[in-house]
Amino acid sequence: MLKLPQSYSDRKHFLIVGALVAIVTVALGFFLLAILPIKAQASMQAEPIKWLFQLHLWLIAFLFALVVVFMLYALFVFRRRKNDDSEGEHFEGNTALEVIWTVVPLVLVVIFSFIGLRTLQDATSGGDEVQVKAEGFQWSWAFSYPNGVTSAEMVLPVNKPALITLQARDVIHSFWVAEWGPKQDLVPGMTTSLHITPTKVGEFQLKCAELCGLSHWSMAATVRVVPEEEYTAWMDAKLAEQNLQTASR
Amino acid sequence: MRIGSLGLVRGLVGYFAGLIVGMAVVVILRLALGMSAWDQEAVWVGGLISAIIGFLLGVGAMSDWLKWTRGIETPLHHGPPAGKPAWTRYFGVDYNHKVIGIQYGVTGLFLLVVGGSFALVFRTELADTGISFLQPGTYNTFLSMHAWVALASILLGVGGIANYLVPLMIGAEDMAFPRLNAFAYWINVPAIVTLLISMLFGWDSGWTAYPPLSLLGPVGYQMVFLAIFTIGLSSILGSLNLIVTMLMMRPKGMTLFRMPILCWAILATSIIQLTATQLIGQAFLMLSFERSLGMPFFKPIYDAAGVNIGGQPILFQHLFWFYSHPAVYVFVLPGLGVISELLPVFARKPLFGYRWVALSSLAIALVGFLVWGHHMFTSGYQPYLRVVFMISTLLVAVPTGVKFFSWLGTLWGGRLIFPTPMLFTLGAISVFLIGGLSGPILATAATDLFLHDTYFVVGHFHATIFGGFVFPFFAAIYYWYPKITGRMYNETLGKLHFWLMTPGFWLMSLAQMTAGTMGMRRRIADYDPALGVQNVQLLVTIAGFVIAFSILIMIYNLFTSAEIGVLAGNNPWRSRSPEWQIPSPVPEHSYARPISIVGEPYDYGLAGSSYVAMAGAGDD
Ligand code: HEM
Ligand SMILES: [Cu+2]
Ligand SMILES: [Cu+2]
Repeated sequence: MLKLPQSYSDRKHFLIVGALVAIVTVALGFFLLAILPIKAQASMQAEPIKWLFQLHLWLIAFLFALVVVFMLYALFVFRRRKNDDSEGEHFEGNTALEVIWTVVPLVLVVIFSFIGLRTLQDATSGGDEVQVKAEGFQWSWAFSYPNGVTSAEMVLPVNKPALITLQARDVIHSFWVAEWGPKQDLVPGMTTSLHITPTKVGEFQLKCAELCGLSHWSMAATVRVVPEEEYTAWMDAKLAEQNLQTASR
Repeated sequence: MRIGSLGLVRGLVGYFAGLIVGMAVVVILRLALGMSAWDQEAVWVGGLISAIIGFLLGVGAMSDWLKWTRGIETPLHHGPPAGKPAWTRYFGVDYNHKVIGIQYGVTGLFLLVVGGSFALVFRTELADTGISFLQPGTYNTFLSMHAWVALASILLGVGGIANYLVPLMIGAEDMAFPRLNAFAYWINVPAIVTLLISMLFGWDSGWTAYPPLSLLGPVGYQMVFLAIFTIGLSSILGSLNLIVTMLMMRPKGMTLFRMPILCWAILATSIIQLTATQLIGQAFLMLSFERSLGMPFFKPIYDAAGVNIGGQPILFQHLFWFYSHPAVYVFVLPGLGVISELLPVFARKPLFGYRWVALSSLAIALVGFLVWGHHMFTSGYQPYLRVVFMISTLLVAVPTGVKFFSWLGTLWGGRLIFPTPMLFTLGAISVFLIGGLSGPILATAATDLFLHDTYFVVGHFHATIFGGFVFPFFAAIYYWYPKITGRMYNETLGKLHFWLMTPGFWLMSLAQMTAGTMGMRRRIADYDPALGVQNVQLLVTIAGFVIAFSILIMIYNLFTSAEIGVLAGNNPWRSRSPEWQIPSPVPEHSYARPISIVGEPYDYGLAGSSYVAMAGAGDD
């Protein structure tokens, strides 16, 4: 085994750095949670996304602390002093260390692949008790329900799994209600879909998330999540109103 | 001296002459075929192709080759053009790799300023909610131009680093194919002119140019497609030249694992450029044909029964990202190479784990070919593909980690000093860390379904590109400045530049990411006050201006120090690398005698060791 130079074998350095990394990780973790307040929280599909996002933040906090604390410590402790003209320690590397910092990240990759897979399943699956079709076109949205009701706003009952099918009439758009979490593109020539189970009552904004030309920035529609009775009442009123329209034509 | 004797001027005249001739030819052809005279797509495309050729003829980038076809031999010309001031050689075709390297680097810096100014324009608009002075159409054009001009500036900057340094670092007199080298530089210039002309017509798809949107807008698109195709051709030819140079022209004793580490990074970069670039060329060519000739590659077309007998929009995204993901490693690998090159010099200590660092560049390049689908998690491709691309993308983190840990190993136990290039190297590590660590969170597909097309992604890729290219590029400029000019830059101004730019950049990245998690979409001309991101947006804009100002300080420093800087001597950094063993500025033929390699490149601190031996000369 290669003899380690003094700076590598001196335990004192590593104890100090280890303690600092631990402190900085915790502080940074809370800092990141505060400055990256992920908005997804109003649907069943948003929950796993938020959970995984925050798990990542802790890993980021740790890795950032690890690199930065080591770096700053080295910059301070190993800086050249006045009138010191010597060179650094001659030390070309260490295979054991290289293997460790290849294998440990590899294990993390396996773990995160597994977690990522489970989260992806949770964030993209759901039932189809309610069905809505959303059509995107430059630069607006239109919604229709299987019973023929059409609407300029999207209304969904709370806590009911909804299947939203998506179609684009001209160019690619993307369906995104930030509070609900996932987004999905609308592609000309294809039908795509998104499972959402809204869990919070309220009014949200659906926004197009794929640059689609001049007024992309303002391509939005109102989305209302209401209690089930209110949803039924709204649907009945719409049915009546639209039958009326057909009759009077 | 007549202005017309400058190659650049003749090239521009050739460009506009070619444009007119090309347009006329298309119009005449159309009339001969019984079509209407004017079709803007066809006429412009014909005109621009001919304009680019006109430029190359005018500037003289093909003169020698054309003479060869007529059996006339042309010796390789050395030195400044006869009877003209020395500076004129930078404005015309010159075969010396050092001149070409400077041409690349300065053009890159120029485009960085242009692309950056476009960003300042639309950042000003975004400083507050409400549309104030940029109409959405103009906003989209500025946004889209910002991206491609900045990317072109990076490709040229990378070309500058590679062309200037690779032959010097391997002790070669020049590149393997000097004429090809000059040609590969000069085709960028008409491409850039074409790209800038596109602004007059506008285009609004962002740099990604997804169809069907990119099939609909104004004729500015054709100019973008042609410009990028041409810049891509430059990448392919330049990288071929670099690969051959590094494989065939190393001196005695320089095995691959004894090359300066930057050469490994350039080798990995060149492999990507040589192979992946074809895909974006093809993709943009297909868009161009679809627009001008109506060939249905990407846009669905329906028959009477409603069946799609046309194209598939998602196909374009695969072609585009098959280049554009690996391209991000073209942007950063050379920069990471600069970091690995500079750290040992300023730590006075060997590069930790040389072989691992060298091979990690190759590993990043190769894994980078398999991850393009992470840009398409929401695109509507088969859902199981998300899993494939999630796993392959996470794997990139492993070789990237090796680099970080090896850098720490290099610093540990050194005798660190902190002149401006070292500061920028450390700044680069800190910024690239922010960018790199925000990568995996985008790679686990579920989180990306939220983050995709938000400002979080904007924060991520600016941090990777600044940490991986811009900071190291500035480090490289300060570091090799004395070798290029023979004089030192001003250290105080250099440090001022650093201390403005680095905190400014940290702030900008974090604020962009915050805006993204709060629901701010990217590429929007205005945003909803209800999001509550005004303060964050204002911070981003202010930070952007601070960064821009600091870059102006650097440019001022570079210009003035060339005249008044203190003389630097051969080797102000006490580096072991070959280029520092010869006079500054480097003589026309670089090495008076061939060098040979007699040791390891980074054996700082090993008494009595040396890397380079100059044949015949006694000094070391
Ligand atoms: C640890 C390494 C990295 C990982 C895991 C990673 C992951 C990702 C992912 C998943 C995306 C797609 C995000 C989205 O559009 O929703 C992305 C975007 C991007 N990344 Fe990275 N990245 C890494 C490093 C880099 C590096 C080194 C660069 C170099 C410059 C880079 C540049 C970009 C760019 C330019 C985009 C945005 C492209 C666009 O949509 O316009 N990334 N990255
Ligand atoms: Cu849109
Ligand atoms: Cu990518």
